[in-house]
Amino acid sequence: MRANVGDKMLIKGHHVGEPDRDGEIIDVRGPDGEPPYVVRWGDTGHETYFYPGSDAVVVHYAHGRA
Amino acid sequence: MQVIERLRRSGVGLNGAATVKAAAEVMEAVGVGAIVVLDGAAPVGIVTDRDLVRRGLAKSLPDDARLDAVMTTPVITIEVDADIHDAFDLIGRHGIRRLVVVDGDRFVGVVSHDDLLVELTADLRQLGRAVAMELHRPSHDPGLPAPL
Repeated sequence: MRANVGDKMLIKGHHVGEPDRDGEIIDVRGPDGEPPYVVRWGDTGHETYFYPGSDAVVVHYAHGRA
Repeated sequence: MQVIERLRRSGVGLNGAATVKAAAEVMEAVGVGAIVVLDGAAPVGIVTDRDLVRRGLAKSLPDDARLDAVMTTPVITIEVDADIHDAFDLIGRHGIRRLVVVDGDRFVGVVSHDDLLVELTADLRQLGRAVAMELHRPSHDPGLPAPL
């Protein structure tokens, strides 16, 4: 998995009816865009280290060019 | 059988100085039942939602109590390329519901008792199909060859 700062991290719900969760990647700590990431979660504003597993996907956003 | 890498769930890590309230809010926001306490990239403890209730709320710990005040340590870990049977053994031996997955000394995720059960159920279902086929459509062996 590779990601950039500004991408969204989406976690699929683990149970039937459970909503997906999302956060914004604010730092990439691994080489070449690899995990771990620092993610700011939803409305809480809390930031955690995050290690994506089989339940997570990265939603890439187009990054503006100079 | 499968290696743990295929089964591991996303892992959320926080520093031990984070508050128990922040941990609870993160668990709700991310939809996880456990947070791994990190020292750098290395896991040093684990806090589950149950820990927050029993060691935090039930003991009237303040909201800003440190996360490492309620964590379980040392943490039981499994290598990311370990076999699923190793996970069965660790969970059974220690009587726990989650294993912290590591790559060397680096935290990379979590695998739970429920994840392993679901995986095992899928394997058992395949075996069950063979038994069901035999029950519903029993095979008939051809007769013995006629004596010469």
